[in-house]
Amino acid sequence: MFVCGYHFPASEGNNVSFDKVIEKVKEGIDATGKTVTLTSETREGAKLETLTVPEGTFAHTAFVDFYENTDVQAKDGYKMIYYTNKYQISEISKSVDGDATKDLCKKLDDMNLYRVKVA
Amino acid sequence: MSALRQIAFYGKGGIGKSTTSQNTLAAMCHYFGKKILIVGCDPKADSTRLILHEKAQSTIMQLASEAGTVEDLELEDVCKPGADEFHPDNNEITEGYIMCTESGGPEPGVGCAGRGVITAINFLEEEGAYDDDLDFVSYDVLGDVVCGGFAMPIREGKAQEIYIVMSGEMMAMYAANNISKGILKYANTGGVRLAGLICNARMTDKEYDLAKNLAEQIGTQMIHFVPRSNHVQRAELRRMTVVEFAPNSDQAMEYRELARKIIANDLKVIPIPLEMDDLENLLMEFGLEEEVEEDAIGKKAEDA
Repeated sequence: MFVCGYHFPASEGNNVSFDKVIEKVKEGIDATGKTVTLTSETREGAKLETLTVPEGTFAHTAFVDFYENTDVQAKDGYKMIYYTNKYQISEISKSVDGDATKDLCKKLDDMNLYRVKVA
Repeated sequence: MSALRQIAFYGKGGIGKSTTSQNTLAAMCHYFGKKILIVGCDPKADSTRLILHEKAQSTIMQLASEAGTVEDLELEDVCKPGADEFHPDNNEITEGYIMCTESGGPEPGVGCAGRGVITAINFLEEEGAYDDDLDFVSYDVLGDVVCGGFAMPIREGKAQEIYIVMSGEMMAMYAANNISKGILKYANTGGVRLAGLICNARMTDKEYDLAKNLAEQIGTQMIHFVPRSNHVQRAELRRMTVVEFAPNSDQAMEYRELARKIIANDLKVIPIPLEMDDLENLLMEFGLEEEVEEDAIGKKAEDA
């Protein structure tokens, strides 16, 4: 199955543990000192807000990983985040980052489109 | 060369199966160079129109009726190359191509659509449509598995890998569960497997959670959440896929990601369908409504 864009072999079943996903996401990624900025917008493209992802959290590493490894082309420095990925990142972050990303995850669970920039 | 994979898209009527399947297959061809044969198994014959840039292609059943019998037909009569970049002779954008055919079916209210499907599949096999160059054959099958006819591609062991297009709406989930029952029935005899749910989102609250949890409980994965986009309708009005209409758009990227996952997917399971009560409980747990008391059943909003 696929979580955060990564393929986990069928032998691992249909409910891969968060630990395995976190391990995969962290592999080869150094997110230290990087600023992760998200923007949200409606389906019609109306800009809503800009958010910063707290460093040291899983969400921070996962967005750096997405930004650096996705095939999505950047527009004005931002890359569109797949809806599936934002929901999966939020789900894991809620479980492991606690209060640090609580408000962020609440937003990520909505129906808006998010874009990410890593600097 | 890799072995031919025979996949099928099932789902409730009106859920966006044909749109999702054509956009995904277009992405498999456009971005990944896959060679594909689409076998539309819907009497509406709308499983190939976006690839062909046509209203609806003449179906095998329609052409057989005009010619006398299906034996009077040639493969070229019923199997058409996709338009522009999907044409086998056009290698500007992709080495891949898409061939298109529609089984068709009887007039509404007459006969069995499933017979048309199996006649068409047998004809295509006998005429060599499933050639060695192909990477994928894709069946786009009408609606719920309401009768054996629509289960033909899985009953006869043709489609091996089933993707169910659904949303977070009750009836779409009900249909997904029913289709799983159909797959379960033929899993041991024909080898068919459920390969994942595709959530063609209606953008209702908690839709991701609902789709993901239904998938988990059935024993499969929610392989991708496809958001709604006006680009889909804009492209459809031009009889095109989004992938061709706006290949760099956000929506085209979503279809590309789904295509990538389908190509790499190895999670193919015998599903474990839910009982109706469990399905309703799932909707209560992740849906918009709190638990509904027995005495509220059948009551209007103002009375509840």
